[in-house]
Amino acid sequence: MELHILEHSLKVASIEKEGIEICTHGLIKLAFLASKTRCKFFSLTETPEDYTIIVDEEGFKELPQSNLISVADSTWLALNVVSGGGNASSSQPIGVTKIAKSVIAPLADHNISVFMLSTYQTDFILVRERDLPMVMHTLSSEFTLFRVVNGETVAAHNLGISNGFVKPKLVPRPIIHPLSSPSNMFCVTSLDPDTLPSVATLLMDVMFYSVGSKEVGATSEDSSHIRFFSFSLIEGYISLVMDEQTAQRFPNNVLFTSASGELWKMVRIGGQPLGFDECGIVAQISEPLATADIPAYYISTFKFDHALVPEENIQSVIRALRTESTAQ
Amino acid sequence: MSGSKPDILWSPHHPNRYVICDSELGLYSIGPVGSTETKPGTLSLSEETAATLLAINSDTPYMKCVAWYPKHEPECLLAVGQANGRVVLTSLGQNHNSTCKELVGKEFVPKHARQCNTLAWNPVDSNLLAAGLDKHRADFSVLIWDISSKFAPETSVAAEKIRLSSVDLDSSTVVTKPLYELGQNDACLSLCWLLRDTKLLLAGMHRNLAIFDLRNTSQKTFVNTKAIQGVTVDPHFPDRVASFFEGQVAIWDLRKFEKPVLTLTEQPKPLTKVAWCPTRTGLLATLTRDSNIIRLYDMQHTPTPIGDETEPTIIERSVQPCDSQIGSFAWHPSSQNRMVVVSAANRVMTDFTVFERISLAWSSTASLMWACGRHLYSCVEDEAEGTDGAAEKDIATKMRERAQSRYGHDTVQVWRNHLLAGGISHMKQCSEDAELKLQGNKQFAVYSGIKNIVKTSSGTTESRRCWSGSDRQTDVTRFQSDERCLALRLCGWISRGPDIDVETFLRSLEQEREWERAAAIALFNLDIRRAIQILSKGAVTEKGDLNLNVVAMALSGYTDEKSSLWREMCSSLRLQLKNPYLCVMFAFLTSEPGAYDGVLYESKVAVRDRVAFACMFLSDAQLPRYIDKLTAEMKEAGNLEGILLTGLTKDGVDLMESYVDRTGDVQTASFCMLKGSPGDVLKDPRVQCWIENYRNLLDAWRFWHKRAEFDILRGKLDPSSKPLAQVFVSCNFCGKSISYSCSAMPHQGRGFSQYGVSGSPTKSKVTSCPGCRKPLPRCALCLMNMGTPVSSCSGTGKSDEKMDLTRENKLAQFNNWFTWCHNCRHGGHAGHMLSWFRDHTECPVSACACKCMQLDTTGNLVPADSS
Repeated sequence: MELHILEHSLKVASIEKEGIEICTHGLIKLAFLASKTRCKFFSLTETPEDYTIIVDEEGFKELPQSNLISVADSTWLALNVVSGGGNASSSQPIGVTKIAKSVIAPLADHNISVFMLSTYQTDFILVRERDLPMVMHTLSSEFTLFRVVNGETVAAHNLGISNGFVKPKLVPRPIIHPLSSPSNMFCVTSLDPDTLPSVATLLMDVMFYSVGSKEVGATSEDSSHIRFFSFSLIEGYISLVMDEQTAQRFPNNVLFTSASGELWKMVRIGGQPLGFDECGIVAQISEPLATADIPAYYISTFKFDHALVPEENIQSVIRALRTESTAQ
Repeated sequence: MSGSKPDILWSPHHPNRYVICDSELGLYSIGPVGSTETKPGTLSLSEETAATLLAINSDTPYMKCVAWYPKHEPECLLAVGQANGRVVLTSLGQNHNSTCKELVGKEFVPKHARQCNTLAWNPVDSNLLAAGLDKHRADFSVLIWDISSKFAPETSVAAEKIRLSSVDLDSSTVVTKPLYELGQNDACLSLCWLLRDTKLLLAGMHRNLAIFDLRNTSQKTFVNTKAIQGVTVDPHFPDRVASFFEGQVAIWDLRKFEKPVLTLTEQPKPLTKVAWCPTRTGLLATLTRDSNIIRLYDMQHTPTPIGDETEPTIIERSVQPCDSQIGSFAWHPSSQNRMVVVSAANRVMTDFTVFERISLAWSSTASLMWACGRHLYSCVEDEAEGTDGAAEKDIATKMRERAQSRYGHDTVQVWRNHLLAGGISHMKQCSEDAELKLQGNKQFAVYSGIKNIVKTSSGTTESRRCWSGSDRQTDVTRFQSDERCLALRLCGWISRGPDIDVETFLRSLEQEREWERAAAIALFNLDIRRAIQILSKGAVTEKGDLNLNVVAMALSGYTDEKSSLWREMCSSLRLQLKNPYLCVMFAFLTSEPGAYDGVLYESKVAVRDRVAFACMFLSDAQLPRYIDKLTAEMKEAGNLEGILLTGLTKDGVDLMESYVDRTGDVQTASFCMLKGSPGDVLKDPRVQCWIENYRNLLDAWRFWHKRAEFDILRGKLDPSSKPLAQVFVSCNFCGKSISYSCSAMPHQGRGFSQYGVSGSPTKSKVTSCPGCRKPLPRCALCLMNMGTPVSSCSGTGKSDEKMDLTRENKLAQFNNWFTWCHNCRHGGHAGHMLSWFRDHTECPVSACACKCMQLDTTGNLVPADSS
């Protein structure tokens, strides 16, 4: 397996709901006019609480200064796992579960805080830049490490720190944060960048005017319905996470769907904002899922974490996670 | 490749059909303008060709890429990759009961929808179709479909809920299970099957090029690179692959896959297509965005002597098939260097043939060769042997012939040979110069030329002489001095010795049947009778001109009466005489004393005759002026006859310079200047340049022996040109030169120290260093210490050897020479080495793999003058 350390220096920011207006100009530019910026990594996730932006330094310049925007203090680097050998096994568990044991658990064991971003195309594991030597040390045994420098992939050398680390204690990881499962179902999808202009107005409506559409939804849905939408444009690839109702507003054949047309249910982690320093949260969730061989997407936002699991598995997931937390 | 940008595909089997795909597929047929009747649908592609639209297929929206089925049957079957990752088989212009009916409409659907970037049919297992898709976090990006697979028993799919996919899956024609899935969690941007083994698939993945082997799908060979777009195998070199990234093309050798073997110069705009020419080896065409030119790279495999490390030479050029911006192009599969180009907008098509680069080479022997495409032309000088042909021959041919006939080396005869062959009549003078030189007494004066001789003239005596054979006093004044006499001798009128009689010269002219000239000279020597006698003799000889009698008659009527009818008639009618000598005879007789312009400026008369005439009849005041004027004229014209005047002085070099400028005959210039020039003339850079050029010319003709002879001659005549010893053999132990002569007189640098060169047997027996007495290295073949004689010539004494330097004897000596390879430093006796490398390429030392002989680029050439 190969672990690629991408060259983007990322900022994680949160925009208050009422602050979205002042950022709209920059966000539209980042999302729809990629050729006008030098930004290569942009992700916007709307939750009921706020908008979470993950963006590289070039893109960060597009955002205004405001006290409605809070930025996580450190710079983050994205890691990406690439299967080196062409493994032909087709029953591969999807997403985070695949890398739970190989990446997330070891990092949690070494007290490295991670920030996850799953997309339609791949999973990005964000780590703090200052933690990188530790990350590389931790993962070098399992992975061939590569660093992307100016677009070229070059072998990354271990930074030479091999001693002085505390041997991690392999302790069971109980789930310590409260979980909730909203009622609506989501689809994870993508679209052809060439067709982006044709759905741009619709996307803008979904992104920035959710208050209006939510009222329509709120009347028909029960109270556990959650407002959640994620758009990312990373190295030219678009990824979308939206609920079923939103997806139906798109014209036929624009969104990429899987042959089976699968839908996902969400597990929301955290009762109060999780912060950035606590580690092991992703591991707590993903390990039991990996053990149960349940595919999942995992999207961290500024305040809470979100895992997406197949709708038919939601009950068993809840059950499994409950067991973990009660085992405490 | 996106929907709006057009692309072209040639039919793999129909040489006159192609498909254009933009938002729909259009099948065209191409033909000569004349043969297709001008139907309304005909589009002109070039002056000779036109295309007809045969069919349109717009069944498949969101086209991203198209690939043409590689086999004959079913023809015109196309695979179309769509924006959502589906691959659809479709067809064009086929009637519906054709063989591919059951295939058309078949769809191959990936598990997770994303754009299909590229498609590639396996050229051998043509039911295998590889599709390259964008990445998905949990899916594979390279899917290989089997088009013949029966519609999958779609239990697995059916079991799952088909909900969001509003595009209903018509399960009868949909295949969802690929034969192979490769490249997990990555994107595939380009694909091609490798020609060397059709189980190998080369894929341009997100950040690397990967080779997948279908026999073992868990393995892949890959290299990290940015250049991952448009991978394509050179049809002529199965191991050579091109790929590109933005403006840069990388060429890979699959045998050495770690890095590109070369990258082509970066172009300012991103590339859109790169294609190898199928009809011409090593020709790569590239197209960039928004451009109206196609850039061609011609990769030559020039055989280089050392290894494979050198980069092939690349010739870069651009062609502009049409004025508009090019959308795409495609090489014709079989027509040489032909392509069809489609414009970026409006689907304007152009049929275009890239004109083959012409390469041209002159050989050193005046023949010319050029190559264009698959044709090779040679142009050889006509070998027609004719009298007038000789004059028209190229100077290089002439020089080559002369060099072969030992031009310039030995004797006057050789010089004369040249004189006849080239029609240049100066050398004789030089040779006579040389003869005079042998007399030794007036050495300086002779080579300084008549111009300088007459300047120093002193003690001139004037005399009025009688017409010989009569008492009549002439009114012609004749001048005499020692210098003038020498000048006459240089002009050839009088021979050496005390007598100043022209009779000898006249007789030699008579022998050569130069009647008019002889008569004129006789006349100038005031011997009318002799002149008349010569003319009448000329008239009666075989093929003689009877008119000479008439001239003799006219001559006999000479009178010195100033106002006679004879004078009047002669001075006007003489201009009608064709022969310049006859003309000047009458000019002389009719002119006033001291005013001989009619003679002196008759350019058809040989310079030496005019100069001799001037020396006889011009006063000390007139003579240098005339000579100066004539010299300037000669220099201007580069006329070698002027050498007589200038001698081999700086003036002579000037004259020779204009001669060389006019003719390019460095051979004559070299020999002439070498042949006895005083040192300062030889040091003139122009002279050195001629000599060097002549030597190079001989080398180029492989006339190495001639060149050596020339060098020897040069060394004799100009000792300063002898090369210093360039190679010294020094002892490994004491570091001193092992040459005896060197050790005897150290630091002289004179001894030619290639050991064994000297003929003395006492020296050739030495097998140890004369300095420290340690043994010399052994010959790698005979294992004898160097210096040991290898042939039977050892017994001959020194004096004998000098006497009979037979060919065999010389060879034996050469066989004794040291030779060694500069690379591996192994060596031995020259003779042994020569015979070893006649049959081997590797070094004779057993553990050494050095290909010594191949390192020597000239080692296999043979001299052209094997004399």
